[in-house]
Amino acid sequence: MVMQSPARAHETGGGTNGGGARGEASARQVAGRRWRSARGVVAALLAMAVIAVILAALRPSGSPDRLDPTSPKRDGSRALAEILKQHGTPVTVARHAAQAVDASGTGTVMVVTRSERLTQDDIDRMRGAQGDLLLVEPTAPVLEALAPGVEIQNTSFASTADPECSLQAATLAGSVTFGQSQTYEVSGNAVSCYEVDQEARLAQVQDGPRTVTVLGSSAPLTNQHLAEEGNAALLMNLAGARQSVVWLAPDIPTEGAGAGQESLTDLLPFGVKLFFLELIVAVALVALWRGRRLGPVVAEALPVVVRSAETVEGRARLYRASRARDRAAGALRSGARERLVPLLGLPRSSAQDPAAAQEIVAAVARRTDRDEAYVGAALYGPEPVDDAGLIALTSVLDDLERQVRQS
Amino acid sequence: MALTGRLGLLALLGAVAPILLPSWWTLLALWGALLLGVLVDLALAGNVRALRFHRSGDTNVRLGETAHVALIVENLGRRRLKARLRDVWPPSAAAAPRTVHVDVPAGERRRVDMALTPTRRGDRRAVTVVVRSVGPLGLAARQLSRSAPWTVRALPAFPSRRHLPAKLARLRELTGAHVALIRGQGTEFDSLREYVDGDDVRSIDWRATARRADVVVRTWRPERDRRIYMVLDTGRTSAGRVGDIPRLDCSMDAALLLGTLASRAGDRVDMLAYDRRVRTRVEGASRTDLLPAMVHAMAPLEPELLEFDAAGMVSTLMARVRQRCLVVLLTELNTAAIEEGLLPLLPLLTARHLVMVAAVSDPRVGEMAGARGDLAAVYDAAAAERARAERRRLTAELRSHGVEVVDAPPQDIAPALADAYLALKAAGRL
Repeated sequence: MVMQSPARAHETGGGTNGGGARGEASARQVAGRRWRSARGVVAALLAMAVIAVILAALRPSGSPDRLDPTSPKRDGSRALAEILKQHGTPVTVARHAAQAVDASGTGTVMVVTRSERLTQDDIDRMRGAQGDLLLVEPTAPVLEALAPGVEIQNTSFASTADPECSLQAATLAGSVTFGQSQTYEVSGNAVSCYEVDQEARLAQVQDGPRTVTVLGSSAPLTNQHLAEEGNAALLMNLAGARQSVVWLAPDIPTEGAGAGQESLTDLLPFGVKLFFLELIVAVALVALWRGRRLGPVVAEALPVVVRSAETVEGRARLYRASRARDRAAGALRSGARERLVPLLGLPRSSAQDPAAAQEIVAAVARRTDRDEAYVGAALYGPEPVDDAGLIALTSVLDDLERQVRQS
Repeated sequence: MALTGRLGLLALLGAVAPILLPSWWTLLALWGALLLGVLVDLALAGNVRALRFHRSGDTNVRLGETAHVALIVENLGRRRLKARLRDVWPPSAAAAPRTVHVDVPAGERRRVDMALTPTRRGDRRAVTVVVRSVGPLGLAARQLSRSAPWTVRALPAFPSRRHLPAKLARLRELTGAHVALIRGQGTEFDSLREYVDGDDVRSIDWRATARRADVVVRTWRPERDRRIYMVLDTGRTSAGRVGDIPRLDCSMDAALLLGTLASRAGDRVDMLAYDRRVRTRVEGASRTDLLPAMVHAMAPLEPELLEFDAAGMVSTLMARVRQRCLVVLLTELNTAAIEEGLLPLLPLLTARHLVMVAAVSDPRVGEMAGARGDLAAVYDAAAAERARAERRRLTAELRSHGVEVVDAPPQDIAPALADAYLALKAAGRL
C-alpha cells in the first residue's frame, strides 16, 4: 500500500489514546450498569449466605447419631457395643422407651443415652422397668425420677480422674477420661466416685431392687475415647455386670407422642376465641370498605408509541455488534462527500460517482492544507483496520469539512 | 351501598369486648349494634336515587387547552343530600377535580364545574357519575352510579397557525392590486388599469391604449379556483414519534396550514385520510367552514399499524377527481414503502395531476449524524448518514418523476409546505 491510511496517520498523532480511553470509559460504564442492575441480586445472595452461616454456627454440634450403639463415627458407640457382644453379653438396641422397658428384665442393664429425647411419659414408663440402669449424662427430670439421692450440681472440665471410692467397677478400671462432665451431689446410701470438689462424676445408688448408676460424661462411651485410660474397663464393668444389655438410644419423639391430648383451641380461653372471631369480622368489614370504589376503573386504548428513529438506532447497534467498519466508513465518507460537493461547486451527482473521485480529491486538497494522498485516503481510502481507526476517520472527515467550509 | 372505615374501626375496637365479657351474647350484641347503625345510616342517608344529572359546557377543545364542562346535580327527593361525587372520565381526558363534595337541598340544583385538559386528540366520553351519600352515623353510605353522557372532542392543536399571517401577506403580494407591478406573477388576465411609473413596459396593452388617451397596462393575477387534494397517510409509518408527537400530528398541522392558506387564495381544498381504506374525507367544504370541517375530521384519527395501500389511494383519488389538481401526499419517505407502493403508480398520477410529497424528517437522525466521541457514537453517525443517503436518493427519484418533495423537521414542515404551495402558485404551475 503506497498511501498511508489517514487513520494510521492520525494514530501517530496521539488520537488513539483519546479514543482508547473513551472506549475503556464506555466499557466501564457498561460494567457499572451491569453492576447496578445486578447488585440487588448479589446483596440478596450475600444475605442468604450470611444467614446460612449464622444458622450453621448456632446449630448444636452433636451429630444426630451421637452415642448410637450402631454408629461407627467418632462420637458413636459401636465399639463399646461390639466389645460387650464379644464378651458374651448380648446387646439389644431399643429406639423407644416402651421397647426398652419390654426388653428389660431382672438380669439386664439398661444403658440410657440421649435422655433429652425422652418425654415425661417415657420417664414414667421407665420408672416401672425391672433390672439395673446406667444413665449417661441424664437430664434433670430423668435423674430426679430414676436416681433418688443424686442431684445435678455443676459442670466440670477436668479430664482424667482416679476413682477414689469403694465401687469395685471403678477401682478395677482405675483412672478414666471424662472431658466435660456433669457433677452430682449424692446423699443417702449412694456411692460417689471420681469426685471433683466433693462432687461425684460417677454415682451409684440402690433404688429398691435395682442398682442405678449415673455417669456424668458421655466421652468414655464414644468410639473416639473408648480406648483411652480405663474407659473401656469401667464401662465393661458397669454395663456388662449382668447377663444382657438393653441400650436405649431414643429417636426424636414424634409430634404428640406423650404430649397432652389437648389441641391449641382447647387451651385457649373462650374469650380469646371470640376475640379472634370478632377480629376476622372486623378485617372483613375493612376489606369491604376498601373494596368498594367510588366509581369504576376506566380503561382506554392507548396510542402506539414507536420512536421514528428506532430503525436508524437499530441499524447503528447492528453495525456495532457485527463490527461493520467497512459499511460504517463507507456511509460516513459518502455523507461527507455529499456535504463537500456543493461547497466545492461541483454537481451533486458527482458525490457518488467514482469517475469524479479525482476531481473532488483535487478540489478538496486545493481548499485545505492537506495533500491529495491524504485527502484521497480520507474520502476514498480502504476500510479502517480497527475501531480506533474508524473514530480517527470521523475526526479527519470533520476536519476536512471544516477547512473547506472556512476556506 | 357502601361501608365506611368507621364501621371497620368500631368492629376492631369491639374485639376487646369478648375478652372482658367472654360470652356469645357479647359478640351478638356487638354485631346487632353495628347492624342497627348500618341500617339507620342507610335509612337516613340522602336519597341518591332521586338525583338527576344534566350537563352543559364545551364540546370542543383544542389539544393543550382546557375545556369546562358543568355537571348540574338536581335533587328531586324530599331530603337534603350531602354526598361525595365523582364525575368519571377516561384518564386521557385529565378531568379535575377527581371528587367533589356536593350539598343539594331538596328540590334544588347545584353545579359542579369540571375542567378537562385532554392529553391526546380525539373524542373523550364521560363514563359515569358516581355519588356516595354517607348516613348521619358515618357507618354506611348509599352509592349510585348513573351515566350522564357528554363528549368533549379534542381537536388538533394547529400550532402552525402562527405562521398564517406571514403566509397570507405573501399571498396578498401575489394576488393583490400591487402584484400587477410585477409581470409574471400569474398567468391569468385580471384587469386593465392606467400605467404608472415603474410598471413593466411589456405589460402595456397597446390596443386598449389606442382606444383611450392614457397608456393602459394589463394586470395579471395568479390562477384562482384550482383544486388542491390533500392525502393524509394514516398507515404504520405515520405512527412513528418524532420528538414526542406522532408523525401524523405533524402532517395534520401542515395540512391545516396549507388548507387554510389555499382556501384564502381562492382554491378548492379537499382532504382524504387513507391507509387501507378511506378513514375520513372532507370534500366540497366552503371557504368559511373548511377549517372546522378539517379539524373535526382529523380529531378522531389515529394511525393504524397497517401498510399504506398506495394503489388503493391512487384509484380512490382518480375516481373522485377528474380535473387537474395539486395532490399533496403527507407521508413518510420510507424507502421500502415508497419504492414498492407509490413509485410504480406515480406516472399514472402525474399524467393528470401535479403531485407534491411532504414528509416530516426526524431531528434525532440529524443529532445522531453529528454524534462523535466513542465507538457507539460513530456507528450511530454512520447509520444516520446511511438513512440520510437513502432519503436523498428517494427524494431525487421522486423529483425525477416530476414530483415536488418537501422534507423538513416537524417544526418547519408546515411553513415549508405553505412556501412550496406559494412557489407553485407564483410560478403559475397549478
